[in-house]
Amino acid sequence: MLNLCMKYRLLFFVAGCLLCSGFISKPLSSLDDLKDKRIGVLMGSVHDRYANKKYPHASILQYKSPSDLVLGVKSGKVDAAIYSYDELMQLLSNHEDLGILGDALFSTPIGIGFHRDNNELRTEFNRFLKHIRSNGQYDTMIRHWMTGRAVDMPAIQKSATGKPLVVGIVSDNGLPFNVVINNQLVGFDIELLERFALYSGRQITYRDLEFSNQIAALESKKIDMSAAVMSITEERKKQIAFSDPYYEQDANMFALKKNIVVKTVASTTAKKKESISFFAGVINSFQSNIVQENRYLLILEGLKTTVIISILSTLFGTLLGSVVCFMRMSSNVILNLLAKTYIAILRGTPVLVFLMLIFYVVFASVNIDPVFVSVIAFGMNFAAYVSEIFRSGIESIDKGQSEAGIAMGFTKVNTFLFIVLPQTVQRILPVYKGEFISLVKMTSIVGYIAVQDLTKASDIIRSRTFDAFFPLIMVAVFYFLISWFLMLLMEYAERLANPKLKRKIIITA
Amino acid sequence: MIKIEHLSKRFGNLEVLKDVTVEIKTGEVISIIGPSGTGKSTFLRCINLLDRPSGGSIRIDGVDILDPKSDVPKVRQKMNMVFQSFNLFFHLSVMDNLTIGPIKLLGMSKQDAEHKSMDLLKLVGLAEKADSYPDELSGGQKQRVAIARCMAMDPKIILFDEPTSALDPTMVSEVLSVIRRLAKDGMTMAIVTHEMDFARDVSNRVFYMDEGIIYEEGTPEQIFDNPQKEKTKTFINRIRSFCYHITSPDYDLYAMNAEIETFCEKQILPVKTRQNLILLVEEMLQICNPLLSTILLDIALAYSEKKEILEVVFEYTGEAVNLLDKNLLPDELGLTIIQSVTESIDYSRLDNKNRLTMILKRV
Repeated sequence: MLNLCMKYRLLFFVAGCLLCSGFISKPLSSLDDLKDKRIGVLMGSVHDRYANKKYPHASILQYKSPSDLVLGVKSGKVDAAIYSYDELMQLLSNHEDLGILGDALFSTPIGIGFHRDNNELRTEFNRFLKHIRSNGQYDTMIRHWMTGRAVDMPAIQKSATGKPLVVGIVSDNGLPFNVVINNQLVGFDIELLERFALYSGRQITYRDLEFSNQIAALESKKIDMSAAVMSITEERKKQIAFSDPYYEQDANMFALKKNIVVKTVASTTAKKKESISFFAGVINSFQSNIVQENRYLLILEGLKTTVIISILSTLFGTLLGSVVCFMRMSSNVILNLLAKTYIAILRGTPVLVFLMLIFYVVFASVNIDPVFVSVIAFGMNFAAYVSEIFRSGIESIDKGQSEAGIAMGFTKVNTFLFIVLPQTVQRILPVYKGEFISLVKMTSIVGYIAVQDLTKASDIIRSRTFDAFFPLIMVAVFYFLISWFLMLLMEYAERLANPKLKRKIIITA
Repeated sequence: MIKIEHLSKRFGNLEVLKDVTVEIKTGEVISIIGPSGTGKSTFLRCINLLDRPSGGSIRIDGVDILDPKSDVPKVRQKMNMVFQSFNLFFHLSVMDNLTIGPIKLLGMSKQDAEHKSMDLLKLVGLAEKADSYPDELSGGQKQRVAIARCMAMDPKIILFDEPTSALDPTMVSEVLSVIRRLAKDGMTMAIVTHEMDFARDVSNRVFYMDEGIIYEEGTPEQIFDNPQKEKTKTFINRIRSFCYHITSPDYDLYAMNAEIETFCEKQILPVKTRQNLILLVEEMLQICNPLLSTILLDIALAYSEKKEILEVVFEYTGEAVNLLDKNLLPDELGLTIIQSVTESIDYSRLDNKNRLTMILKRV
């Protein structure tokens, strides 16, 4: 009886959740209606601070990227969200179901961020800004990107020599500032940066980082400058230095059109859209998420990175794990303690935190390929786990096996190589396999340190298409396929390691 | 060939071997017997340095192998070992178990090694199992493969560490006959064993180990038929005996009966005697039952082959009382049955313990 009761409760709860997430009770007519509603903001942005101050009774939800923010609004997770005006205008032209609520909330100057000690570069950039403002270039750019809403980059000569200039960007920021189209970075910011590179004779490279990581990257000198459409605030000035403002940006509230009280009746096109069949919808999604702008190249590139990081970390981790295992099993107290500490620390820290620590702290101010950093971080993590797997494998081999080897006249090392190791491999492969697969999936967080892997590729696509379903499902399928394929490989290795199965293969072959 | 002087071995505070001095000559077959825990296996393991001795010297053909400069793995190739738990390499087929040593250590070609191994497998009767894996073999087969594996290295001596202790009784003889065969071929061997009949007819010399030393040594006849020292005598006598301790009313009756049966089988006693014996023990336990929570009861069986006498001794703690005193028993049924199967019943009091000694009737 109780059980049944619980079931009904659960049912109501789920239904309630669905209702809440899909609809809001009262349409919004003005900004004041939001005071007890849910408002989405970009994490760490000026909007975030504004919303907290202005709507103390509303629940503020922080999102990591603009695409997540838009999805939040579209899926009803928040009632409204704050975003920059220019990006919002671009967005609305593609998303008829969204609308702007009320007038501009506030406006802030935006600038390029520099390390506080890097006065030289900052002065140079400010000089460049003055230069393009005076010769009309700046106005042309504003007309092109902001008013004209263009999506194409003018041809700018790129310097292949000169001092390196590493710029942190947020590739899923959205037009007009910065976006990936046809697998190329385009936007106002990009044009500005490339013109500056040309002006100062530098060779530019980009690091695609989360907005929230930009300041950390500047401070650890991972990047020379940050172009993340960052509003100049007093608080940020304490940590980094800003260029002169190069744009003044409004912030607006937006929400689903159907939740905003408007005079005009809901457009008929929206209704038409709903009647599209499921398959047509999938085909549409396929078109926009994969075919358009050659997005499949982005996915392939990400796939390659994911596989490379997985395999290299596994190799490195296995080698390091063997060494740690050797130390852990050694009778030397110091080696033993070192290994124990290593294992405890690595197993006790989240991989993501460890990865960021390695990137922003350990390799701070070293120009190093983030892929390499990922391999090191995941390899070290993998090593901690597999060293214990190795140890339990070796210890599970009956002592009599090595005694028999030694009694026969093998040295200790040879006894290990010829007798203990082959049996250990055979025993640990099933567990090792699982650990390996989980490593593959774990690599999906490398986007945090500007590596463009499979997950990041889908984030970039989502930032253009604002389609949650298709890219996420696609990435899930890809991860599954990679894991599955690698599992098949490991199973084959397992067969080779198991003499009896191997015999069967030979007989049937 | 092997000369051992003042060998000692301690594990922490436990002194397992005190002072062993002995020589083994080429062609000798030596059995090492003695009670459990007296260092027989340790002695064997010290000879090939699986356990490093704490003191003394081991000379093989005049070379001191305890000298840090000596190449121990090289020495071990010449004196291989057969273990109680077989220790066949699980990941290798029977053939590979035999060839891995010759190929990796003696530098033999794969073909020669396989040829030779096949001959050895034929010798131990397992040629058709060459492609099997250890876990597909019975215990006796595993141990025969292990012996063949030793032989593949052309050793000068083989050390056997209780080669039949882990085997089912039905498989003991197949392994023993292989070892007998090697003895006949003149192989030098040192065998730690509990199979007394085997030790008696296979060896040239028998070491009786006790108290961490070789307590008594001599030909099988000397040790088994005419032991000189007290402990050796007791041990040899006890081989032909059986003992079971009952410490609580919840003792395992079936395990005890099974052990009595095994004892009878070993001594090749007639079925009738066996039945009488079990009947006697059952009736006696019936009488003792009310007291079992307060007393400790030992049941000992001893069989003398020469006199053909089976002696049953019940020893119990507690007040001096003869449990079979007619006046103390509620009825005489149990006593009558016991009297019907025994020749004599004697009660005595020794060391604060009561002892009932009975001799079973011959059938």
